[in-house]
Amino acid sequence: MKKLVLHSTLVLWVCILALAGCSTAESTREATASDQAEARIIKHEFGESTIQGIPKRIVALEYSFVDSLATLGVTPVGIADDNKPDSIIAPIKEKLGEYTSVGSRYEVNFELISSLQPDLIIGDVSRHKEVYAQLNGIAPTLLLKSHGATYQENLSSFPVIAEAVGKKDEAEPLLQAHQANLDKLKASIPQDEQRTVLPAVVNAKGFFAHTSKSYAGSLLESLGLKDAIHSDEAYPQLTLEQLVEYNPDVLFLMKTPGEQTIIDEWSKNPLWGTISAVKNNNVYEVDRGVWSLSRGIISAETIVKEAIGQLYP
Amino acid sequence: MRRPKYLYGVLAAALLTAVMLNLMLGTVSVSFRQIGSIFMGHGDSQLLNILVNYRLPRMLLCLMVGGCLALAGAILQGLIQNPLASPDVIGLSKGAGLAAVMIILLFPGAPVGIIPWAAFIGASIMGAALMFIATRFELKPTSLALSGMALGAMAGAGIQYVTVKHMNDANTALLWLAGSLWGRSWEHVWLLLPWAIIAVPLLFYLSFRLDVLQLGDNAASGLGLSVRHIRIVLLTAAVCLTGISVAVAGTIGFIGLIAPHMARKLTGPIHKHMLPVTALLGAILVTFSDVIGRIVISPREVPVGIVTAIIGAPYFLYLLGKKK
Repeated sequence: MKKLVLHSTLVLWVCILALAGCSTAESTREATASDQAEARIIKHEFGESTIQGIPKRIVALEYSFVDSLATLGVTPVGIADDNKPDSIIAPIKEKLGEYTSVGSRYEVNFELISSLQPDLIIGDVSRHKEVYAQLNGIAPTLLLKSHGATYQENLSSFPVIAEAVGKKDEAEPLLQAHQANLDKLKASIPQDEQRTVLPAVVNAKGFFAHTSKSYAGSLLESLGLKDAIHSDEAYPQLTLEQLVEYNPDVLFLMKTPGEQTIIDEWSKNPLWGTISAVKNNNVYEVDRGVWSLSRGIISAETIVKEAIGQLYP
Repeated sequence: MRRPKYLYGVLAAALLTAVMLNLMLGTVSVSFRQIGSIFMGHGDSQLLNILVNYRLPRMLLCLMVGGCLALAGAILQGLIQNPLASPDVIGLSKGAGLAAVMIILLFPGAPVGIIPWAAFIGASIMGAALMFIATRFELKPTSLALSGMALGAMAGAGIQYVTVKHMNDANTALLWLAGSLWGRSWEHVWLLLPWAIIAVPLLFYLSFRLDVLQLGDNAASGLGLSVRHIRIVLLTAAVCLTGISVAVAGTIGFIGLIAPHMARKLTGPIHKHMLPVTALLGAILVTFSDVIGRIVISPREVPVGIVTAIIGAPYFLYLLGKKK
């Protein structure tokens, strides 16, 4: 029996070495394939990538990149949508064509990405830097800020994405149009608006304020609304006592529709009624998918429309 | 003794099956025939790519991580003379976990590839602390076990604190803590391979001494064994094996606990027979669990550590309940 073990191990090792040999030969062949096409060097958060020609098959590993691509009129072939197609918000989905889910944003599926044969991958610098080498082995990969990025940081990656997909000239007019849309919406905010605003994700685990260091918080602040808590953290978790202390005048509660949240419990507590937003009926439930997950030009306009619609009916 | 006649044959077959399944199944499935034609050098280049860049390194890591963790567990159970001992229980993986979680959550700007090193250092610090404390009690099994548990509890509290404090970004850390082979590549294989190679002769060197230790300190000293010395060597071996596997795969629990027990049921307590079977069982379990984790909710995956617990625990209970 020992012989059998020895033999099977040996066979296995020979196979492995043979395969490893094939792989190196393969990758050197690919490198010389398309040196005819015009090459562009794109700077991103994790270095520089060289992109040949116009990428046609793009894989997006965060929702914010899907928003940017949809704004540019490009449908990615693969999206890390956590295998929940509904997590892509309606105004973006209607601009997208067919795509393949490449799994969770935390653990993207390399096999699927590789089998889609992409020519550009856009990933998030905080989530995907550990696997950058593997992604870049499949196709030129850009890592940009997405998770934890503010509205301004998010906007600043837009021209990078536009240039990568060969639509550099379209970026500026699109950003201007976006600014014009926001300015139009902003006009309905009165000059003397003094109320403090607090957007927060609420779920069963707790209440997570989204301050001016977060996406939704910084977007509302850019409209001239006042952040209720001024924290250095993007998403501090608050207790009910702390929330009462900050006493926001307006609350936007981001939740997944139908989910139980900590507010179900808090609203039975007499302290809850003392918060200015609760007293004056300025608590609004909004969709977490739109306000917190999506992050981009289309989502920003959707958020602002909804916020202003609620605040100044 | 009661070692089944064809044990090695059966284990080798199980291992080969697990290895083949690991190579064939996944979101993109590769048939047996396709693997064959890839060997012959005329397979589909896309599949070749998937096989060589993702499946093969992962499969090798499964084998090595499973084997090393199982061995670490067997060594610790022999050393502490307690069937409940395992790298998790005496805090080694908790130390690695704390170091890794701190890097992931407190230093998000840390250079890429530093997490395995941090985890290994975490486990080593834990091992050193354990050794330091326990030598003051002459490395007695009970004091080793108890001080290990105390240190583990401290590290566990640290992990809790850091993850709760950073709840919003905790997902990456939690996936790491669950034990996952996602995104691991050849560089991790090269990191682990030298240790796995050293572990094999070491295990044969140690097996006889582990047997003698079971006779109790007096008998072992009487037989000419330097009990203190051998305990230090054994603990160091366990720390290294745990540290390096956890560094690569995260804190996969349970393997270090159940594989030695399963092996003991199959071969009896003599370490010369039991240790190789332990390593094989660990490798089979992890390789098999990894396939399952990859296919059940494809294109997402279930971390391998969760699968090992789910499929390992019932089998373990069955073995415990079975009368010999």
